[in-house]
Amino acid sequence: MLRFDRRLLQNVDWPLVATALFIIALSVLSLWALAPGRTGGPLAWRQLSWVGVGLAALLVVISVDYRSLVRLAPLFYAVGVGLLLAVFVLGRTVSGARRWIHLGPVTVQPSELFKLVFVLALTWALTSWRAPSLSRSAIFGTLILLGVPFVLVVRQPDLGTALVLVPVAVTILVGVGVRLRVLGGLALGGLGVLPLCWLALKPYQRDRLLVYLDPFRDPLGTAYNVIQAKIAIGSGQLLGKGPSGATQSRLAFLPERHTDFIFAVFAEMWGFIGCLVLIVAYGFLVLRGFEIAAKTAEPRGQLLALGVTAVFATQTLVNMGMVTGLLPVVGIPLPLMSYGGSSMVVSLMGLGLLLSIRMRQFH
Amino acid sequence: MGLGQRPIDRNESWRRRVLALTTAAMVGFFGLLGQLWYLQALEGGRLQEMSEKNRIRIRPVAAPRGILFDRNGLPLVDNRPAFTLSLIPHELDDRDTVLARLSVLLKIPLTELQDVLDKAPPDSIRPQRVRRGLSLEDVTKIEERRIELPGVVVEVEPQRVYPTSTFAAHLLGYVREVSDEQMKQGHYRRGDMIGQSGLERLLDEYLRGRDGGERIEVDALGRPVQVMRREEPDPGAQVITTIDRRIQEAAERAMSRRAGAVVVMDPRNGDILALTSSPAFALDRFAGNLEREDWLRLVRDPMTPLMNRAVQSQYAPGSVFKVVVAAAGLQEASLTPMDRTYCNGEFHMGGWTFKDWKKGGHGHVDLRLALIHSCNIFFYQAGLKVGPEAVVRYARAFGLGAVPGGDLGGEKPGLIPVVQPGRQRHGRGWQAGDTVNISIGQGRLLVTPLQVARMMGAVANGGILWKPRLVQRVERSDGSIAYSSSSKSTGHVDLSPAVWSFLRHALTGVVNEGGTGSAARIPGVLVAGKTGTAQSVANSDASKGQDHAWFASFAPANDPQVVVVVLVERGGKGGQVAAPIARQVYEALFLDKVAMVALEGES
Repeated sequence: MLRFDRRLLQNVDWPLVATALFIIALSVLSLWALAPGRTGGPLAWRQLSWVGVGLAALLVVISVDYRSLVRLAPLFYAVGVGLLLAVFVLGRTVSGARRWIHLGPVTVQPSELFKLVFVLALTWALTSWRAPSLSRSAIFGTLILLGVPFVLVVRQPDLGTALVLVPVAVTILVGVGVRLRVLGGLALGGLGVLPLCWLALKPYQRDRLLVYLDPFRDPLGTAYNVIQAKIAIGSGQLLGKGPSGATQSRLAFLPERHTDFIFAVFAEMWGFIGCLVLIVAYGFLVLRGFEIAAKTAEPRGQLLALGVTAVFATQTLVNMGMVTGLLPVVGIPLPLMSYGGSSMVVSLMGLGLLLSIRMRQFH
Repeated sequence: MGLGQRPIDRNESWRRRVLALTTAAMVGFFGLLGQLWYLQALEGGRLQEMSEKNRIRIRPVAAPRGILFDRNGLPLVDNRPAFTLSLIPHELDDRDTVLARLSVLLKIPLTELQDVLDKAPPDSIRPQRVRRGLSLEDVTKIEERRIELPGVVVEVEPQRVYPTSTFAAHLLGYVREVSDEQMKQGHYRRGDMIGQSGLERLLDEYLRGRDGGERIEVDALGRPVQVMRREEPDPGAQVITTIDRRIQEAAERAMSRRAGAVVVMDPRNGDILALTSSPAFALDRFAGNLEREDWLRLVRDPMTPLMNRAVQSQYAPGSVFKVVVAAAGLQEASLTPMDRTYCNGEFHMGGWTFKDWKKGGHGHVDLRLALIHSCNIFFYQAGLKVGPEAVVRYARAFGLGAVPGGDLGGEKPGLIPVVQPGRQRHGRGWQAGDTVNISIGQGRLLVTPLQVARMMGAVANGGILWKPRLVQRVERSDGSIAYSSSSKSTGHVDLSPAVWSFLRHALTGVVNEGGTGSAARIPGVLVAGKTGTAQSVANSDASKGQDHAWFASFAPANDPQVVVVVLVERGGKGGQVAAPIARQVYEALFLDKVAMVALEGES
């Protein structure tokens, strides 16, 4: 498994690595500036230690041929679903949701990890079945692989993670060449199921969706986040207020400011220019991911690269969209930026998969 | 779909599809940039203004501290609203000017204001307390100049209020702002008021409750626009003590202008009805701002008003200890009620002369008369007969030399000597003179008033040593019981019923048959007790010869319901000083009986 020849090292995508490290550096800086001294310091340090863990995981992922990972995908999937189930038994409730499992001193969020497992499992399913009627079995298998974790994650409740899985599945289906007509049919079917989903939602989740439609429904309750985030971003104007002037973020008007809403903190501090730089960096990561997918000839590598990039792009777009008020607030971290161990480690592992595929695409 | 195609075509169509997906993602990123341009460039000015006006205040709503009640439901302490001066660092735009104005306005040293701000983060929106117990006049001054004093706020918080400033000071204990030392324990917030002594400290965790708070939006003048979130405070739990406020007041009144302690206990269950220590300190001085000099004056006061003499001060028991010697002798059969001796006022042993307190002596005395008249000569001989080992053993059995376990902090164990005959490596060994000394409660013997009360309780109830109980129960604000305690016996003195009855009979004689305790006699109720006059360690010529006066007693003698122990520091003779104080306490305890007898006497 460990065929680590020099050709592999020659094909490391250094620009991709550099861009990711650049975003991570901005994350640590923002956390540091958020509350200097008392709480900011430790937060930034802890984030850095998670980066360390993530880089180690990245190295492990790179050193293994991604094809053996795809072969093991059913196992990962089973373990992943097991962990999602375990959350209901062992999980600790944080602000109304059971998403975390305690492992000694650290808490792990299995739904984060499951995003990669899901991509691996889809890749395995769509490249291992060589049936002539690929489209039908592909769609059917994908729906099953998607359905089980979707229901579990929605029940946790972690609507954000569940909603990330859907665009990722669609992207991969498009990738394998499922006709748009078929996808359109699925979408209509999905619309038919929507009312049922509405009934399954928790009251606070419904509130968030309604608030998205009309932010001033409840200016001090659920919409508070949205309004405060908009004020924070907007008040950054073109050049930003710098770390010390970012009153919105530093004075805790902004909730969840170190996790899901960190982009608002960044936008207040560095203004439109800073956001432009950050978005170009994310855009470059996504472009590079798609490029790796496009240039790979090996089917498993193709789908894996496409899926990982889709996870990355979806999370980035949905998170930024919700923080800027374009999308409803659903609770998705910004990859490589938001504070949180599970998210950071999983993002770096995804990066590792992309690097690994590129390193091996010329074999 | 792509499986039937040739590899080249397959890769070609794969690339097309990836390109389409890439385009979709890029459209998303451009959409985001558009939204950011809208928010930051087009709407930026307006939102910037909104962020400037966005002044949110956190207004803590302090939980009222739990109230302590006496056994009959009368409050021992209460709360009243008081004004607190606070600073909000984030709103102090022109810090130096505002502080200077405030300092002049209220005559608060500038350094005090700066100290407060130095302890808080400079952009905190939490009010930082400067001073509690602001006068109405000061509040008016601030409100009038509100515009000139941005960041200065007056909060209303509940504050302790006491029936009188020194009432039950040691028992209740004082409440004071958390100290820097206590902050380090981590479970307090700066400015929290916490119990620092007595019951307030013992029960602090119940009494404190949980503070609530409000998040309010305010305008530029600091006027609330709307309450955004409110968390109700959870008031502290109420404490029902075993204290009887009327008895406590009577005991304090009786001890006025004396140094010493009074303990009133129920010998049937160990309930403490009253516990005083004097001189007392002013509880209400701690509620507001205690100046450093006042605190130092209190700590350095030679009369040590902060010390709870009922449990923390140790004294020689004096003749009160004769009860132990008599009990030991009778139970061990080394003494009998028939033993007689002739007391001429002097006792010679080994070239030393021990004197009785009464010149010329008491004449012929037996054990009962020796207790009644507190004859030292009889007990010198009795102690030698009983032997120091037995005396010490019985003293320990009566709970002396050990902490009584009454929950009030800092209880002292007293001192009961270890009898080791022969020469010791350090100092001299136990000698007959030592035995003679402890026989009348002198020498290497120290007890606390609470210990004596427990001992007297055992005499009254036939041997049960109760754990002193101060708290009956603690009730949370929702009515549930947070803590409750029942009477607990923590020891038993095994004497035959005949010995108990002899002791009670003799002690009744002390008060009612012309004995040393006659001053404690009241009409209608038989009081039994023992006086004691303990030689104090003379620190100077002035205090020399001023002995500690003891009176340890219970009543009614035939059916004991209450134990009263009085100690007066450097008061003189127990019978002359302590016994009359006990009488006043008994008069309060048996008010109706005493009144009845008085009425009958008139008619």
